[in-house]
Amino acid sequence: MRRMLRLFLPLTVVAASMVTAMVAAPFEADVHTPQGFADATTMLQKTAVSAALLVAWMIAAVALTLLSGREIRYSSVEMRASALHCFALGLVALTSFALTAIVLNYLIPYHVGVPLLFALGVFAILTKIYGMVAVFHAVGTLIAGSRTRDQLAGRKWLRGDLAMVVIGVLILGAIRLIPIVGLIVWSLTSVFGIGTALATKFGRREPWFLAFRAVES
Amino acid sequence: MNKDDCQRYLEDPEANAAHLRTCAKCNAEAMALAEKADVEAPSIDLNALPLAPWEGSSHRAWPLVLGTSAVVVIVALALLDAAGMSPLHVVEGSLTSMEAIRTQLNRAANSLRAASLGWQVAFALAFIVVNGLLIALLRRAPRGIDA
Repeated sequence: MRRMLRLFLPLTVVAASMVTAMVAAPFEADVHTPQGFADATTMLQKTAVSAALLVAWMIAAVALTLLSGREIRYSSVEMRASALHCFALGLVALTSFALTAIVLNYLIPYHVGVPLLFALGVFAILTKIYGMVAVFHAVGTLIAGSRTRDQLAGRKWLRGDLAMVVIGVLILGAIRLIPIVGLIVWSLTSVFGIGTALATKFGRREPWFLAFRAVES
Repeated sequence: MNKDDCQRYLEDPEANAAHLRTCAKCNAEAMALAEKADVEAPSIDLNALPLAPWEGSSHRAWPLVLGTSAVVVIVALALLDAAGMSPLHVVEGSLTSMEAIRTQLNRAANSLRAASLGWQVAFALAFIVVNGLLIALLRRAPRGIDA
């Protein structure tokens, strides 16, 4: 219980802040108003934004791995063991989030929509952050992970959950900088991540639903 | 040899160890047991076993983490400076992209309100089917540890 609180309390605060900021943001704010720069400048701006977001992802990934490395590792293993299930679950979950958000938006005039929409937004952001860090771990382990014990023993820095997550962030961050490919890869990564987070219940190895069995006489 | 002696030996072998010198049958059985007990367990080559995911996972490579983070921060700040932006612009830009999602959501909900009853029923069915599918997929137990 304490472990769960330690993990989810800060994440919930971050996600709630993001949703609040999103809702409270000025409606027609546009910070990308053309300022007379050439296309090269626009591209530089996009690259700079991507790099800055990469810093945010790096901080989130390191913090989350320090808080709950075992859960992240378990989710990463699950993603590698049953990738197709995670992907399918991610796709269905994304669709479900979208449809549920529309339904809750539909319910806003009835006053129950706003808190439920807020809760859905927080849950979706939590799932996305956790899932992305699990994908970072999986990618880092796939590419830079040790294959044998001798290799593991010979490594000084490139081992452990933290190192794998950082390597994953770097690799996916570098891919993110490629104009079209990066967007596609990160979208797929999000689907995988959301699927993995939900499939493993955030790495807690617990069933989502209780199984009711008839009492045997 | 007397059967009672054999029985006494079986009940307490250490106290009746002298019985082995006089009974060939018990002696043979004791020798066979000793041979079995002396069999060594087959040696396990640890390196031949696959590496478990948790092995070495608790190691924290702080030099790698801090060094990489510092490089990424420096590169990001340099790029932001070159593009004439501040980190605040990035935050505002992220909020604006979320704002676009909110606009789309509002538009979809308004369309749903204005849609005919048939479309609303179809949307409700789609909502139920997708969430039912989600629940069905969530019921599957994870298999990562056993894989």
